[in-house]
Amino acid sequence: MRLFWLLFSYEWRHFRAAKGLVLLCALLLLTGLYGIYYGTTEIERQRQHLTTLPELTRRNVEELKVKFPGPTDAGDIGYYHTTYAVHHPDAWAALSLGQRDINPYYVKLRLLGLQNQLYATDNTNPMKVLSGNFDLAFVLVYLFPLLIIALSFNLLSSEREEGILTLLLAQPVSPGVVVGAKLAFRLAVVLGLAWLLSAVGMLWAQVPLDGRVLTWLGLSTLYCLFWFGVALIITALQRTSAFNAVTLLGVWLLLVVLVPSLLNLGVAAAHPVPQGIELTIKQREEIHAGWDRPKTQTMNRFFALYPQWRDTATIRERFVWRWYYAFQHLGDLAVAKQAAAYANGLQQRYDLVEKLNLLSPAINAQGSLNALAGTDLPTHLKFQRSATAYHDALRAFYYPFLFRKVEFTHKDYAQEPTHTFTSQPELSTALRGLVKLLLSVGVVFAAGLLLLRARPINPR
Amino acid sequence: MHSIAQKEFVSTLRDKRFLVLSVLVLALLLAATLVGRASYQTLQQERQLAQQTVNDQFRHQPARHPHRVAHYGSFAFRPRSGLSLLDSGVDSFTGTSVFLEAHQQNSVNFSQAQQSGSLIRFGEMTVAFVLQMLVPLLIIFLCFGAFTQERETGTLKLLLSQGVSLRQVAWGKILGYSRAVALVVAPALALAAALLFGTEEFTSGTDLVGRLGLFVLSYAVYFFLFIVGAVVVSAVQASSRAALVTLLGLWILGCIILPKATANLGATLYPAVTKAQMDADVHEEAQHGINGHDPQDQRSAALKAGLLKKYGVDSEEKLPVSVGGIVMSESEAYSAKVYQQHFADLNATYERQNRLSDWVGLLNPYQAIRPLSMGLAGSDFAHYVHFQQAAETYRYALVQRLNALQTSMGYGDKERKLDAHTWQQLPLFAYQAPPLGWALPRLLLPVAALLLWAVGLSWLGLRLISNSRLA
Repeated sequence: MRLFWLLFSYEWRHFRAAKGLVLLCALLLLTGLYGIYYGTTEIERQRQHLTTLPELTRRNVEELKVKFPGPTDAGDIGYYHTTYAVHHPDAWAALSLGQRDINPYYVKLRLLGLQNQLYATDNTNPMKVLSGNFDLAFVLVYLFPLLIIALSFNLLSSEREEGILTLLLAQPVSPGVVVGAKLAFRLAVVLGLAWLLSAVGMLWAQVPLDGRVLTWLGLSTLYCLFWFGVALIITALQRTSAFNAVTLLGVWLLLVVLVPSLLNLGVAAAHPVPQGIELTIKQREEIHAGWDRPKTQTMNRFFALYPQWRDTATIRERFVWRWYYAFQHLGDLAVAKQAAAYANGLQQRYDLVEKLNLLSPAINAQGSLNALAGTDLPTHLKFQRSATAYHDALRAFYYPFLFRKVEFTHKDYAQEPTHTFTSQPELSTALRGLVKLLLSVGVVFAAGLLLLRARPINPR
Repeated sequence: MHSIAQKEFVSTLRDKRFLVLSVLVLALLLAATLVGRASYQTLQQERQLAQQTVNDQFRHQPARHPHRVAHYGSFAFRPRSGLSLLDSGVDSFTGTSVFLEAHQQNSVNFSQAQQSGSLIRFGEMTVAFVLQMLVPLLIIFLCFGAFTQERETGTLKLLLSQGVSLRQVAWGKILGYSRAVALVVAPALALAAALLFGTEEFTSGTDLVGRLGLFVLSYAVYFFLFIVGAVVVSAVQASSRAALVTLLGLWILGCIILPKATANLGATLYPAVTKAQMDADVHEEAQHGINGHDPQDQRSAALKAGLLKKYGVDSEEKLPVSVGGIVMSESEAYSAKVYQQHFADLNATYERQNRLSDWVGLLNPYQAIRPLSMGLAGSDFAHYVHFQQAAETYRYALVQRLNALQTSMGYGDKERKLDAHTWQQLPLFAYQAPPLGWALPRLLLPVAALLLWAVGLSWLGLRLISNSRLA
C-alpha cells in the first residue's frame, strides 16, 4: 500500500512538471465555468421572459377595459383577451438545458380552439439551436472523456517508449500496482475537477439540496469511471501511444457521435410520428365547417357533451358567441385522437431511446442529466397537458357568462384562472440511467482487468 | 516530386490502418447519402401531399364571405432543396409549415427537432457531417507522421542527400495524400451526383449542377488545407506522438468546442425578442393604424366620410363599394407593414448572432465550410428566411385580393356570400427556391476564409518547413 502512495505521489510531481497537462486541466476548468455561466444566464433569461408575461396580460386587460368601458358580452372578452400557460424551469435546468431552447416554454392562449394554439413556437435562431447548448452537461458528457483520453492514452506506453518501464518493473513492484496507482492518480484529478465544477454549478444555480445532488454526482462519477475503464482496456492491449490515442478517440467518436446519430435515424424510422400538421389542418376544416353547418346541429352536438347548458335559449341570431365557441371546441374534439397519437408517438420515440441507451453511455448520461433537470421531451409533454387543462379551466370560467348571458364586468377579469407549471424531474429515468451506467462501468473494468491478467505487462 | 507523391500514395494504400479507416469513412459516406435521400423523399412527399391537400381544400370551399375565406386561410409548406440530401443544414431545426391567415403572420411550426428527444442534439448523420468532421480526422491519422516518421527512421536524410529540397518533399507528400483522400471521397460524391441527376424526382438544371460543382470544389479546398496543415504540423513537431496530439487537439477545438461556444456567445451578445413580446409590440403599433374588426374606430368613420364625398352620395347604402372591405384592406396594409418591420428586426438580430460565427471562420476552417456548404445546399438560414418572406408575400397578396373582392360586393356584404367557383380563380402558393446567383454573394465571407487558409498555409507553412532544420 505504501508503494501505491509512493507511485501516486510521483505521478503528482510528474503531472505538475508536465505543463501541457496542467494547462489542459485549467482549460477544461474554464470551459466548465463558462458552461455553468452560460446555462445559468440562459435559464435566468427564460425566467425573466416568463415574468414579463403577466405584465403583457395586464396590459391586454387595461386595453380591453378601455375598449369595453361598461359590462359587456363575455364573448368579446374571450376573443380579444390573451393569457399565457407558462413552463417555469427547475433550478437544475441551468446545469442541463436539454430541449428547453427548442420546445417553447410558454403558450399564448385565447378562448378559441386549442389545437391551433398549442404548437406555436417561440422565436428561435435555427443556427444557434443547431450548434447546441454549451452547458455543464455538455462539458461533462462531451469534453470530460476527451480529458480522460488525453491524460491516460500513454499510461504505460510513454514509459515504455522512454525506456523507463524496464527500470520500474525491475524493482520489486507488481505491474498491477503501477497501473493502479497511475489510474488512481488520474481518476483523482478528473473526479476532483468534475466534483468541483458540479459543486460550483449547483451553488451558482442555487439548486435545492435534495437527493438529486447525489444522483448528479453519482451519474458524473460513473460516467468518468466508464471512460477510465475504456482507457484501462486500451492500456492492457499494450500498444504504442499513437495507436492508443487513435483507438481511444475512435471509441469516443463511436459512442458520443456515431451511435447517437445512427440511433436517431433508427428511432425515427421505427416510430414514424403522425405529422402534427395533419391535425391542425383537420381542426381548421372542422372549425370552419362550423360556420356553414346549421346552428341547431352544432349546438346539439355540443349539448350532448355539456348537458348542463342544454336548457339555454335557442339561437335565432345570425351570430352569437356561445355558438362560435361551441364549434371552436368541437373542432378540438374532432382531432382529439390525432392529438393523442401525436403526443404518444413522441413519447414512444423517447421510450425507445431510453431502452436502447445502453448502447452508448454518452446518450445514457445526457438523457439522465436532462431527466434529472426536467428538460427533456416528457416534461414538455406534461407541460402541454397542463396547458390543455388550463384551456379547459378557461372555458369552464367563460361558459356560464356565455350560456347564462351574464355580462362580463371589470371585476370579473381578476376572477379569471391563471396558469403555472414548473418542471418536475424524471427521477425514475435518472435512477435507471444510474443503474445502467453502473453496469457499463462493471463491463469495461471487468474486461480491462481480465485483459491485464491474460497478458502480463511487457516492459519492452 | 511525382515519385514522392506516388510513393506516399502507394504506401498509404498498403497501410492496413488507413485501409480500415477509409473503408469505414467510405461506408459511412455512402450510407449517409442513401439515408439522406430516403429522408429527403419521405419529407418531400409528406410536404407535397400536405400542400396538395390544403390547396384542394382551399379551392373547393363552399360559397362564403371573402373575409371568412381570409380567416380560413391556407398553409405554406417548405419544400426541401435537392442538395439538402447532402447537407440538411438547419432544416431539422426550422419549422416546416406556416399558417397563412388574415391580420397576422404566424410562426413556422413543427420542426423535426421538436419531434425527437435530446438525441438529435448529438448531431445528425449526413454527408456534410462526415465530410466536415470525420474526413479531417482521417486526414490527421493519415498525415501526422508525414515528416516525423521519416525523421524517426532516418529516411529523410537519405532523401535530402539526393538533392531534393524539403519543399519538394512536402509538396510530394501533399500530392500523394490528396490522391488517397480523393479516392475515399469521390465514390460517395459520384453516387450523390448519380442520385441527383439520374432520377426524375429532382428538377435538375444548370443551377443544381452549379451548386454541386461548387460544393465539391469547396470540400476539395477544405481537405487540401487540412492535408497541408497536418503535414506542416508533422514537420515542426519533434515526435509523431506530439504531432498527433497537437492535431487532435486542434480538431477538437475547431470542430467541437469553437462552433458551439461562438453560437452561444452570439446569442448572449445580441439577445432576440420573444414571440410573446414581439406580438404585443406589433399589436401596440398596429393600433396606430385602422382596426378592420372595430366598427367604432374613428379612423373608419373618417374613411367612410371620405368615400361618401368621393362618390357624391349621402349614405353608405348608396356606395358602390363596401366600406368594410376598404377598411379591412387599409388595416391589413398597415399591420402587414408593422409585422414586416418586426420580422426584419428579428432576422437582423439572428444574422448578427450568426455573423460572429462566420467571422470566426477566418480562424477556424470548420466554421467557414459549414455555412458555405449549407448555403450551397440551400439549407441555411438565408434560404429559410427567403421561404418565410415568399410565404408572407403570398399571404399578403391573397388577403388583399379577398379584401378587394369584399369591397366590390358593395353595401351589406356581410349578409351575402360569394360563389364557390370564386375560390378556384385565386392563385395557389408555389415556392421557387432562389438561384445560385442569389446565394453566392451571401457566402463571400466563408469563401474568402477558406481561400485565405489554403493560400496562407501553402505559403507560410511551406516556408516554415523549408526554413526548419529537419534532418
